[in-house]
Amino acid sequence: MEVLAMLPDMKEIIDQNRAWFCLDCGKCGAVCPISKWEAREFTSPRLLIEKALQGRTEEVMDDALFWSCLICKRCTELCPSDVYFTEFLRDARSLARGLDRVGDCTHSEMIQTWGRMMSNRDQRQNRLSWLTDDLEVSDDSDTVYFVGCLPYYDPLFKKMDVEGVAVAQAAVKIMNHFGIAPQVLAEERCCGHDQLWEGDQETFRTLGQINIEYLKESGAKRIITTCPECARTLKIDYPQFIENHGLEVLHLVEFLATQEIKGSADYDAAVTYQDACNLGRHLGVYDAPRQIMDNLGFDLVEMNRSRNAALCCGTSCWRACGQVSKSIQVERLKEAKATGAETLVTSCIKCQIHFKCAQNDPILGDEIDIVIRDLTTLVADSLMES
Amino acid sequence: MVTIHPDKIEESTTQSRPKVIVFTCNWNAYSGLETAGVEHLTYSPSVHPLKVMCLGQISPGIVLKAFEKGADGVLLLGCPPGECHFEFGNRRAAEIFEEVKGLVALLGYREEQLKLDWIGAGEGETFVNVVNNFVEKLNGSASDVA
Repeated sequence: MEVLAMLPDMKEIIDQNRAWFCLDCGKCGAVCPISKWEAREFTSPRLLIEKALQGRTEEVMDDALFWSCLICKRCTELCPSDVYFTEFLRDARSLARGLDRVGDCTHSEMIQTWGRMMSNRDQRQNRLSWLTDDLEVSDDSDTVYFVGCLPYYDPLFKKMDVEGVAVAQAAVKIMNHFGIAPQVLAEERCCGHDQLWEGDQETFRTLGQINIEYLKESGAKRIITTCPECARTLKIDYPQFIENHGLEVLHLVEFLATQEIKGSADYDAAVTYQDACNLGRHLGVYDAPRQIMDNLGFDLVEMNRSRNAALCCGTSCWRACGQVSKSIQVERLKEAKATGAETLVTSCIKCQIHFKCAQNDPILGDEIDIVIRDLTTLVADSLMES
Repeated sequence: MVTIHPDKIEESTTQSRPKVIVFTCNWNAYSGLETAGVEHLTYSPSVHPLKVMCLGQISPGIVLKAFEKGADGVLLLGCPPGECHFEFGNRRAAEIFEEVKGLVALLGYREEQLKLDWIGAGEGETFVNVVNNFVEKLNGSASDVA
């Protein structure tokens, strides 16, 4: 063992994330979507941990899984020894960044770039143009609606007809319906989820600090968001890495599950539901979206792998998208089609973007053709009809 | 003539304001710039041309990056319709421009801070007019805001 050759930081990362406890059982590799589709080399979370434990730090960082891991948490959740692989990777990526290593970027690094631009305190955005006159917001509500990057996705993915702004508008409509006129922050920043998980701690912390300042200034007590990644970051990572802001954080589906909504949905077709990794495995919210769909009278048909066994949408942190991601997306879309449902419902805008992107495939066509909707817009439509 | 590497934008933009990054297509717009040089025409010192082999080759991310690194304006200069060296490059550039325009607006930049224009080969005077107009408008709108 070349433990002594290990960077002290890597040793620390191993200790903190219980990597020593790996039993080499291989459950992680059996469920890892990357291991299944990565054709260039054999890789699995177990192998990565083994390399790390043997002090082969360089090899860890060169491994195909290192930057392509989806942080979907499927392996970590299943691990009998409670090795925190997802967190291990987060910390190791941060170490890699310090050594000037980064993964392959997608979309010409545009999303990382706007994240960094937002980490400039002087940047004054113009991000509220989606607020139409029929939407009621206020300056002193107890509730802040944390919009996230939704308005930014519309121009970027215009061709794919992504429901970015539509989700934000639907969320405010829904809150208005329940008597809440939420605060919407004009200078809200990206939550920093992607920056944290791809090892860019510096940008993550700055974004977080700015957001916390604005959130505190708002005087609100509760944050509602429609993005599972924002929900996780605000709820778990801000208190852990930046500051305990003391505000309650809810994904909109958690809020809706506590409200009385009755079935008036004129939606005959069956639907199936994609559990977003951050909402499901990271935050443990499985019942809320199902309960809402049930209350609204949707006919929900589950996919083979649902709830904590759900398959990720194939890309994370806007990194390393390619053949592996596409294969995962196609696999999942075929699974959704196999349920016989006509609509695939999700509560994460990124799931929607990634699946819709895969659907651009001109050859697969019908095989993966299914309507993809966000639960937020579906609920808003049903409420308006009733 | 100044041609700068993207990583050097920040460095070059620490000089006089406003800083304008001009992405020029090698085949038409850049030839316009060279003609301006040959004819000893002068243009605003704010202008920092950055030659690319085709304007359709730039990505929306690189335009954002120019703003991130401190540019006050970004001007994209490509081949006039029907004159693209690679046939489709200027159409692609127009698509990229549409995509990035919305994002730049969300990030709080004004409309006149990002522009797409076409310049034919050898049109030195047009090049000078286009870049000078861009800088002038930028100065005008900046003082409006201030």
